[in-house]
Amino acid sequence: TEWNVSLWGKRRAFTEHVEKLAELVSEKTDGEFTMNISYGGLSKNTDNLDGISIGAFEMAQFCAGYHPDKNRVITVLELPFLGVNTLDEEVAISHAVYEHPAAVDEMAQWNAKYLMTSPMPQYNIVGTGEPRDELAEFDGMRVRATGGIGKAFETVGAVPTSVTSSEAYQAMESGVVDTVAFAQHAHLSFGTINEADWWTANLNPGTVNCPVVVNIDAYESLTDEEREALDSSVPEAIDYYLENYGELLKQWDEVLDEKGVEKVMLSDKAIAEFRSTAADPIREAWIADMEAQGIPGQELYDLVMETLEAQRAGN
Amino acid sequence: MAGSSTVLEDSSLLSRLDRALLPLERLMALLSGLAVFSLMFLAVYSVTGRKFFNAPLPGYVDLIEAAMPFIAFLGISYVQRNGGHIRMDIVVGALGGRALWLFELISTLLVLLLIVMLVWGAWAHFDRSFDLTRPLWSRDSSIDIGLPIWPSKLVVPVAFSVLVLRLLLQIWGFGRALVLGLDAPVAVPLIQSIEEQARAEAEALEEEG
Amino acid sequence: MDEISIGLWTTAFLLFMVVIGMRVAFAAGLAGFLGLVWLRWNGFDYAPDRFGKALEISVKIAGQVPHSKVSAQALSLIPTFILIGYLAYYARLTSAMFEAAKRWFAWVPGGLAVSTVFATAGFAAVSGASVATAAVFARIAIPEMLKVGYNKQFAAGVVAAGGTLASLIPPSAILVIYAIIVEQDVGKLLLAGFIPGAFSAIVYATLIIGIAVIFKSVGPPVTGFTWRQRFASLPPALPIVAVVVIIIFFVYNPFGDAWGTPTEGGAVGAFIVFVMALARGMRWGQLKEALIETAKLTVMIFTIIWGVLIYVRFLGFADLPGAFSDWITSLTLSPMLILVCILLAYAVLGMFMDAIGMLLLTLPVVYPAVMALNGGEMVSAADSSFGMSGPMCAVWFGILVVKMAEFCLITPPIGLNCFVVAGVRPDLSVQDVFKGVMPFFVADAVTIALLVAFPAIVLWLPSLA
Ligand code: NA
Ligand code: NA
Repeated sequence: TEWNVSLWGKRRAFTEHVEKLAELVSEKTDGEFTMNISYGGLSKNTDNLDGISIGAFEMAQFCAGYHPDKNRVITVLELPFLGVNTLDEEVAISHAVYEHPAAVDEMAQWNAKYLMTSPMPQYNIVGTGEPRDELAEFDGMRVRATGGIGKAFETVGAVPTSVTSSEAYQAMESGVVDTVAFAQHAHLSFGTINEADWWTANLNPGTVNCPVVVNIDAYESLTDEEREALDSSVPEAIDYYLENYGELLKQWDEVLDEKGVEKVMLSDKAIAEFRSTAADPIREAWIADMEAQGIPGQELYDLVMETLEAQRAGN
Repeated sequence: MAGSSTVLEDSSLLSRLDRALLPLERLMALLSGLAVFSLMFLAVYSVTGRKFFNAPLPGYVDLIEAAMPFIAFLGISYVQRNGGHIRMDIVVGALGGRALWLFELISTLLVLLLIVMLVWGAWAHFDRSFDLTRPLWSRDSSIDIGLPIWPSKLVVPVAFSVLVLRLLLQIWGFGRALVLGLDAPVAVPLIQSIEEQARAEAEALEEEG
Repeated sequence: MDEISIGLWTTAFLLFMVVIGMRVAFAAGLAGFLGLVWLRWNGFDYAPDRFGKALEISVKIAGQVPHSKVSAQALSLIPTFILIGYLAYYARLTSAMFEAAKRWFAWVPGGLAVSTVFATAGFAAVSGASVATAAVFARIAIPEMLKVGYNKQFAAGVVAAGGTLASLIPPSAILVIYAIIVEQDVGKLLLAGFIPGAFSAIVYATLIIGIAVIFKSVGPPVTGFTWRQRFASLPPALPIVAVVVIIIFFVYNPFGDAWGTPTEGGAVGAFIVFVMALARGMRWGQLKEALIETAKLTVMIFTIIWGVLIYVRFLGFADLPGAFSDWITSLTLSPMLILVCILLAYAVLGMFMDAIGMLLLTLPVVYPAVMALNGGEMVSAADSSFGMSGPMCAVWFGILVVKMAEFCLITPPIGLNCFVVAGVRPDLSVQDVFKGVMPFFVADAVTIALLVAFPAIVLWLPSLA
């Protein structure tokens, strides 16, 4: 069996688990089951779920926030200030939600099945000029942040500004935005770190959720042996991803030093204030919106919180 | 070089249908131009809002992306009517009479095949983003302000459907020219030499300026 | 059959359809669609009962492409640039530009021709399309040159060649298209076009002066303008300067923070020209014409874009670009020699094809190969074959191919600019224009050689940004 896999951009920390998965699966089946990974050649990133549903390719990655209406259920994972601190916790809550019947159902409408997540660290902001380490200083700040994180900044008076990720660097350089919210690897690959004077180390406003999915028909037509090879490789691939991203995070401090970027720590009080201004109303609105559409919003949110506690208790 | 072939007219049914479709095509092209025009104001609004009032237009990128299909597709049939889509006419330009109509007929039939398939495919693309049971009928939304995407996806099959009508008329026109061995058939774009095209374009500029 | 062979056969079909006169956009779309069906059915081992499935999947893949590819913010630059050109015409900026250039530069040998080149370069700074520039200046500049006794063929050649500057000097629709296809920063590419564009203009001017000095009869100088007249000619041409300054400052501000993104810059530029045109008496009827003309040219360009991208999507599934770049990098020739061969191939191809169609058709395969030749997309300058980083190589190659595409606008047998000039002037045959434009082949060859030998001409400005 040969599968086509649709990713986008370039090979990077964010795609290493898929690369690893392809390698493991091929090893375990003696080359009987191979994956052809394409970076953007098979689809535009926002159309990857469409591609899965029509059977254009068998596996793909996408991010929930790119098109919330296609995947309403898992947008619970993009709510601001969930309180996720590590990538392990991010994996735990993602996979818990992926297994929820509502999530399974919604994906089945796209002929898709969640396979694994691509855990992303919190979207901290880099900025130019004087560091903003108090909540009042966010007032009037133009921030490049999309979806839920953008909404969160809006509640404290910041101005979410619409810029594509590839224009983020230039927007920052030109002063179109003062700050950009990304995960670390994206600050590196989109070059926003080069323009930055400071980075918020502990703001942790939230992140985006980017699952890897497979086409259900393709998955079911695998031989038992192939399916076993695929399923059993997921934990290994995720471990590899975590290890690799961990290395990148370790080097992050060096990168900050090298570029002369100041590490800004907000006081616990400031963060608590931000969280209470942003998190509660946005979550309430999200739950109400979901319940109105027949999706168990409260239940999903509770599931996230319970999983987070269980994960912490287990460690 | 857009739209510089000539299309002849007479009182036949074919020619009347050709002229009946034309105002619709021209209106759609004008809408496309107006969409370009609106981009201009969108940018001015966004820049002044940001520079002077610290209030950038929310979802500026989403709005542009939503406008692009209107700009790119609405005029497609109008351009086809006048034979404005780019081609290499070294070979066909050297042909005349029935041989020319045969070539034109075959290539127009092939274009029809492609466009009919694309109407199907583009409709399916629209259909996946559309759900009457959802808020705003939306099953696909934009990244920044959650704009429903189905309206701009719907533009594609609609514009292509008008193009299908146009292609059917042209196939009729070329087929008729082939069967009857006509010299100057109506309702189809007639090849002009590049000199004629350029002269026509210059005259157009002259009249306007 | 293996996927690469299917890719090659489909490509051959596409070229055949283009040669026999099918519209390029539809030939590419059809080839891509049929290729997708073939590839998928091949994957099903040609089982008759699975043809329907292969067809359905392929239809849906192809049907996604038009909407998906066209909905990109950067592409919005193309219609705005085209709109600027049409509005500039109604604002009578072209004649103002020529008048100013004449009063300032006509005193040198070949003065009116030099003025024409500088005026086309100036108009290029608001116009995104070469052909339109040639058409406009054929009407304005040729009569003036003939009046003072210029050689007819030479005058026509100057206009045809000067027109090509519009695609290098920003705004440029073709540079935007390049940036989109190769997924590089539009702003950097537009910025990179400035100096090579100005450089080309200077090479043209030098050549004209040289010719006028040697052959006294070709183009006498025109003197007698007072300084007062010179300065009086500037204000009407001022909006052009304003638009240029705005676009530069949006992309890159040498004195501090730039003002915004290139896409905003283009649109604000259009707005200024629009206000100017209103002030100079443009009415709704003319605006409507300008909008419809903009729509026609835009639709024509976008149709090629999505048509070719259906074919490119098929190539993605067949992995032909990967195979081609593996082949190129496996050659034992020096990378520079291979690059020169690629540029020569463009010169030949450009004799028979339209510039935009040519770039769209070839870049998906050629660009990855050139990048691989340099050592990959992310290579550092130190490890690269051409002595520049991956992103810089993308910019440099972009300017080179666009310059090649411009060169093709004046080469026989279908150099479009020459046909346009001949079309506008009934007293000139196409052969006349081709004869007159011949010296400019030399100028262009020199320019291209210098851009290849000294990449800094291209890369200096974008490396500052
Ligand atoms: Na230009
Ligand atoms: Na040519």
